[in-house]
Amino acid sequence: MNFIAAVQALVDGGVDFVIIGGWSAILHGSSYLTNDLDICYSRQPDNLRRLASALAAFHPRLRDLPMDLPFVCDEATLRNATLLTLSTDLGAIDLLAEVTGLGSFDEVKANSVLVRAFDREIWTLDLPGLIRAKRAAGRPKDLQVLSELEGLLEAQEPE
Amino acid sequence: MKTLRSLTPEQLKRAEERLRHPRPGSRIEAAQKFGIDLTLLIEKLHLSAEERIRRMHDTAIAAEQVRGAARRQRT
Repeated sequence: MNFIAAVQALVDGGVDFVIIGGWSAILHGSSYLTNDLDICYSRQPDNLRRLASALAAFHPRLRDLPMDLPFVCDEATLRNATLLTLSTDLGAIDLLAEVTGLGSFDEVKANSVLVRAFDREIWTLDLPGLIRAKRAAGRPKDLQVLSELEGLLEAQEPE
Repeated sequence: MKTLRSLTPEQLKRAEERLRHPRPGSRIEAAQKFGIDLTLLIEKLHLSAEERIRRMHDTAIAAEQVRGAARRQRT
């Protein structure tokens, strides 16, 4: 997963998005390696166009379907889906319109922090928000990272 | 607007102390019992968010190269 190139392309494309999942955990200090980039995106029409345009250069296709099946990643596709698991030239990218435990994009953004990195400003879930999302998702891989995130939060709490 | 910043020296000192000596019944102790290596967390807290990403990014790229080489050897 070429995280840096993917995030730079999305930011440079003017996409309104929040990094969630494993890379958000890494930003907060997690040691768990992740294979895919999970983002939650605004479903405003302009943003859907920008997202589709930013991804187009990296040849997105659905991961869970045969390679030769035609797939068009455009505004309509993004508007009609709440979850798309994509394979791209940069690696696996999952697009979520909402996040379990938090809600829609606006609620996700309200539970996010701004990070300055790679000459860009990027949004990612704050640590309490990420913990809520991981707990609500409840999959074994989420629960595995949950205790680490809880420890990181407690370590950084004020006196 | 909330910003993710590196910890101040005081915050870092406090966090490190908590991670080196978890209070009984704390979430840090629970993480340790779960099998989390707390020394790795201390190391990560010393880094900026960008450094955390760069290190993991390099690891991910290296892991992918190893997987690719293994796949090529099998075929």
